[in-house]
Amino acid sequence: MTSITRDTERKYSNRLPVIALLLPLLLSIGAPIALIPPVEAQETSEVSPSDLWSDDYITQFFPWGGDDRLQFREYHDYFSMKDRMQFLADRNPDIMSFHEGLMGGVNARDQEMSLDDYKGWYYNHPSPWMKITGGGEKLEGVTGGDCNTFVGDCGNYADLPDIMLVGNHHAREWMSYEVPMFFLETVAYYYGMAGVDNDGDGLIDEDGWDGIDNDGDCLMLNASFQDSNGDGNPCGPGDLGVDEDFSEQFITDMINTREIYLIPMLNVDGNRYDREVYCGETAWENCATSGWRKNLRDNTATGVTPLPDIDEEVDPSCDGVDLNRNYQFEWGAPLGATGPLFPGMCYAGEAGANNDVYNGPVNYEDNDEDGLVNEDHVDGKDDDADGQVDEDWLGGNTEPETKFIQDMTEMNDDNGDGSSEFKVTITWHAFSELVLWPWGHCTNCYSPDDEFLVYHGNVMGQMTDYAPMQSSDLYPTTGDFCDWHYGVHDSYCYTIEIGNAFHENPEDIAHIAVRNLGVPFYMTEAADDPRYRAIVGIENTTSNQLLQHPDDVEVPDKGDIPINMCLETSFPYTSNMTRTHLMWRFVEPTRSQDDFGPTEWNYMPWEMSGFTELNQQCQLQDGMNGTLISAGIPLPDTVVGEIHYKAMLGTTNGAFPFRYPPADEGDYYTLSLPYRADFGSTVFAVLMFLVIATFVWGGLAFTLRAMFSEDQKVLGLPPERAQNNIENLSGNNS
Amino acid sequence: MNPDTGAQSDEFSGRLGLIFATIGAAIGTGNIWRFPRMVGANGGGSFLIPWLIFLFLWSVPLIIAEFALGKRSRTGTVGTFRIFTGNKFAWMGLWTAWISTAIGFYYAVVTGWCLNYFQTAIRGGLDSEVDTQEVWNSFLQDSYQVIGFQLIAVIITMAAIWKGAKAIEKVNVALMISLFVLLFAALFLSFVMDLQDGTLDGFIYMFSIQPEYLYEPETWINGLSQSAWSCSAGMGMAITYSVYMRKDEDTTLNAATMCLANNSISIIAGLTVMMAVFSVSEDPLAAVSGGSSAITFLVLPEVFAQAPGGPVVQLLMVTMFFLALSFAALTSMISTVELCVRNFVDHGIERQKAVGFTTIAIFFFGIPSAALWIKLDADTGVAFPQFLEVQDHIWGYGLMFSGLFIAYSIWKYGWSQYRDWQHENDITGFNFRDYLDHGVSPFRDDFINTGDNDWWIGKWWDYIMYLGFPLMFGVLMLSYFVDLLINVHDPWNPSNPHGISIILLFWGVTASLFIGMNKYILINRVIPTNDQFWLIAFVTGNYELEPRPLYRNVPEGANASIDTLPGGNDPYIVKSGEALPPTFVNDYGETIAHTLSDSPPVAGS
Repeated sequence: MTSITRDTERKYSNRLPVIALLLPLLLSIGAPIALIPPVEAQETSEVSPSDLWSDDYITQFFPWGGDDRLQFREYHDYFSMKDRMQFLADRNPDIMSFHEGLMGGVNARDQEMSLDDYKGWYYNHPSPWMKITGGGEKLEGVTGGDCNTFVGDCGNYADLPDIMLVGNHHAREWMSYEVPMFFLETVAYYYGMAGVDNDGDGLIDEDGWDGIDNDGDCLMLNASFQDSNGDGNPCGPGDLGVDEDFSEQFITDMINTREIYLIPMLNVDGNRYDREVYCGETAWENCATSGWRKNLRDNTATGVTPLPDIDEEVDPSCDGVDLNRNYQFEWGAPLGATGPLFPGMCYAGEAGANNDVYNGPVNYEDNDEDGLVNEDHVDGKDDDADGQVDEDWLGGNTEPETKFIQDMTEMNDDNGDGSSEFKVTITWHAFSELVLWPWGHCTNCYSPDDEFLVYHGNVMGQMTDYAPMQSSDLYPTTGDFCDWHYGVHDSYCYTIEIGNAFHENPEDIAHIAVRNLGVPFYMTEAADDPRYRAIVGIENTTSNQLLQHPDDVEVPDKGDIPINMCLETSFPYTSNMTRTHLMWRFVEPTRSQDDFGPTEWNYMPWEMSGFTELNQQCQLQDGMNGTLISAGIPLPDTVVGEIHYKAMLGTTNGAFPFRYPPADEGDYYTLSLPYRADFGSTVFAVLMFLVIATFVWGGLAFTLRAMFSEDQKVLGLPPERAQNNIENLSGNNS
Repeated sequence: MNPDTGAQSDEFSGRLGLIFATIGAAIGTGNIWRFPRMVGANGGGSFLIPWLIFLFLWSVPLIIAEFALGKRSRTGTVGTFRIFTGNKFAWMGLWTAWISTAIGFYYAVVTGWCLNYFQTAIRGGLDSEVDTQEVWNSFLQDSYQVIGFQLIAVIITMAAIWKGAKAIEKVNVALMISLFVLLFAALFLSFVMDLQDGTLDGFIYMFSIQPEYLYEPETWINGLSQSAWSCSAGMGMAITYSVYMRKDEDTTLNAATMCLANNSISIIAGLTVMMAVFSVSEDPLAAVSGGSSAITFLVLPEVFAQAPGGPVVQLLMVTMFFLALSFAALTSMISTVELCVRNFVDHGIERQKAVGFTTIAIFFFGIPSAALWIKLDADTGVAFPQFLEVQDHIWGYGLMFSGLFIAYSIWKYGWSQYRDWQHENDITGFNFRDYLDHGVSPFRDDFINTGDNDWWIGKWWDYIMYLGFPLMFGVLMLSYFVDLLINVHDPWNPSNPHGISIILLFWGVTASLFIGMNKYILINRVIPTNDQFWLIAFVTGNYELEPRPLYRNVPEGANASIDTLPGGNDPYIVKSGEALPPTFVNDYGETIAHTLSDSPPVAGS
């Protein structure tokens, strides 16, 4: 491998002088055309990737070398993948051990299992998987620690969190095993290294996984180079220069403190069938958005004839079970899955859509041998109130692949507490560029951990520029991997829908894999306590968010006064107005103030205004971009006073009512509201002035004149009195 | 005491003197800082309508009544009520005098502020570089300075009233004319300022009617209260100054002139402030209606410091303004002290002694208002004197009762006249029709439309005094208490300085004390039967009562007969210079010689 690397290095370094020689030539050819605006041409500095990074990085030539398949220019198939896994396990015996299927024994349901039970129906391969761990502080490795005879692995440590990473539930979704393979290659190559300059820019570990161009190198590029993956988002996840130089020490530390169960290709049967029969080797040409989905259960044979007819060829119009509908949690609920109408009968005539989500046969056994059948299906509740939970299931877990997942989950009990070790699980699918979390089995329902699941989901959405949402918001599904893992085993489980096709063009494998690489690292890191990490994350997030300060509020001349909030895109806020709203009250100086006291205020009652999301970006406390939401305060333009406002920010299930402004800035912000209406019309004001002036000044002038006039007349004297008065006066005078 | 001048009464030299004195009393700081604030807070032109209406419904009628009372009784408030409502009710006059004096205690402090701002302004201490809040806070928190200026205000006042009516008149004429000139000059500058940006928005706002405000009772109540306080109607001031009226002085047109002059000044001051603030401030209405005295001492210096025409004009503007304010305050202060002094003089105490005593009392009782409880407004950081505020809170509305007492004396006179008429015609029992004919108008007929008046007062005045006044008084008091109950936190807690309890307590204690004192201090004198101080003798019971003489300041030839009045048959109410009867009849029916010296002290001089 080292020789290969050196060769390529030479090859690329040879190219540099050639390009350097060619450049002046090219420029001289272009010179006459560029004669007119030569200054302009110089001013717009043409920064190209080659000015910044190593050629290896630019061409996404990965340091582990190898053939095109290992460079993610070509798909693995089952065999090449297995070979590579074995190769890597051999190369890294301290941290990786290769396994296929489970060794068997008595499982958690008292069933006697053997390796054969985990082999696919048709091609008879058990799913290959890799156990990866550094073995804790003492670095006891994957061979140290406890050995699990059922699972067949060693390197089990009670104090290390376990992570299950599963690819290729669905046969045709080829990227869903290439991404875990890319993760495996990355771990295998970088484990134990420190301070690698991954992109050749002379800096080390300057841009880790977060979906943001932290070191700004992509942004330095000429615009034409910024969207290298062509997804329309310049300098977004998957583009050159974004998240390109992660920390190797982080990888090493993480592997040392986690146990990773990496199952890149769960559905080997289906995948082989898709590749070898259904679509062919170049499936991206004829099957870009179609292909074989399920495993290869022989539906025509099972149940009707006593023995499965294994020699029978696969009947694509009928056979197979959708593995991601075959898990037991809420199995068979009529949402997004197909129940068997007639047991053992092939369901649809041709390869109809419904058939693609066949969830497997009903279980008619009395699983707990209490005389009742299916009286307590798997939903985490004790339906029949007999003290046992989910002991007599309706169906599901009928396939070798799902049995494999179920037993691996239930038998891998390092600390012997009876509950699953897998606090975090990820399953890769294709396609649609989504990050999904439970629930899938119900709509408009929220799991108890909703806001935490939302939080991590949003973070990963940001990391990949994939759309985060609850699984059932995409479409409802029952019996899927994540509902089972979360519902039964309290595992934070995410379904990543990769890319834009089932079979992506091979030249896209590399950059799609790069774009998705951060996800397994992020969740693996979070596996120690995903709930707590979400709480802390949300709290950090909330301290980064801000309610618009009064100094920044622009009071419009008319209409509602908008108050904005800048939220982290990962923040799981709810738009429900009872939980998320702006609280405000109007405060005005009383109209009759004490002459000498402090200003007296009239406090109106607090009112609520709902926030609406604006399609604009805003700047968070740390200077990053956030989501802008805005609420309007409906006050008329004729009032003068102050507005007190604060924001209540509810998360989706309301456990965290976050309040803004932060406590150290007081209970609320105070915005002074000026008089915004017109002061009045000049004409009417002058008229009014004349009226008032006539009354007051005119009146004063009149009284003064009356006072000092020589005339003895008495104002307002009634006529009959006037006579008396004159008599009085004349009497006085005489 | 010169016996030759003894018989002479103390009076104003002419009609203008009285007018200037009463205008000076009426025009105070309220015209200059309260009126613009009220205009700003109550919808500009909308406020002017109730304000103008209540000028004629409240202020003018009450001032007419006061003039009529004072002109006939020729004594200060205590004497007036003793004469008009009888000996039992002399305490009402004491209440009126006390309210005015209690206001004087802190008003001297406020006058001191104005004087300080004037001297600061003239020394260039209020230029545009200055943080006015800092100036205000540091001044108010420096007790010695505040008390110093309070002392100056008190001394100026004392000097002005030392010599009596003629001196008061001269000072008032000088100050008022200066005030007019200063205000007009300031108005002109404000007008120029407001016009600079092309619009007269301050003028426009002040005279624009916003109809919605007219539908709000608050606007009308504020219009009424502004009208009631601004003219000093009901305060007893007009009673006091009318003591110095010449014998044939008019009582009605003077009242109208005085109130109209007061309102004219309000409009000029209001326009000056509004136009200046609107021309400079970005949020003029908030600045104007922002509350309390802040506008005067915080906003206006800032505004005037931005006047056009450079530093000289700015200095001129701010100096003129605070000089005008000081003059307005001083003339009001003069009337306040004179009101108190007049009552002492009426009871035979030498004028100079009374002035000295009152001045010293006003200074010392004002010190807590100057220096006690200087707090900072939590919202704005502006200093305010809480003790002073509480004083204003308590006595400001106590003033309303003075107005009520004046109305009461009118009602009572009418009732006694009705009784007399019944007696003459041998009618018994109450007949409402007869009461309307014979009991309502006597006061107006006998004391207002005397023939000396230039303006014949019609029946409308009776309607206002008998119906309008109680109604307006009720509305004012009710709105005041409702406002307290709604807007004050914990209003019944007696330790809450803004609460109801403290007000009722102060009013109650004061009123009961005064009613209790009525017999022993106001209409009688406590004569110790041993050598003890009279108060100790009184407490220990070793005393006898002698009637207290009341000396009326009646000019030669004036028609000031009080025979028909409830207090008119008291032989110890005499014209100044007249001899007292040698004896009196005590409670036990014994005829005893009194102990007063034969030569009674003379009012005035």
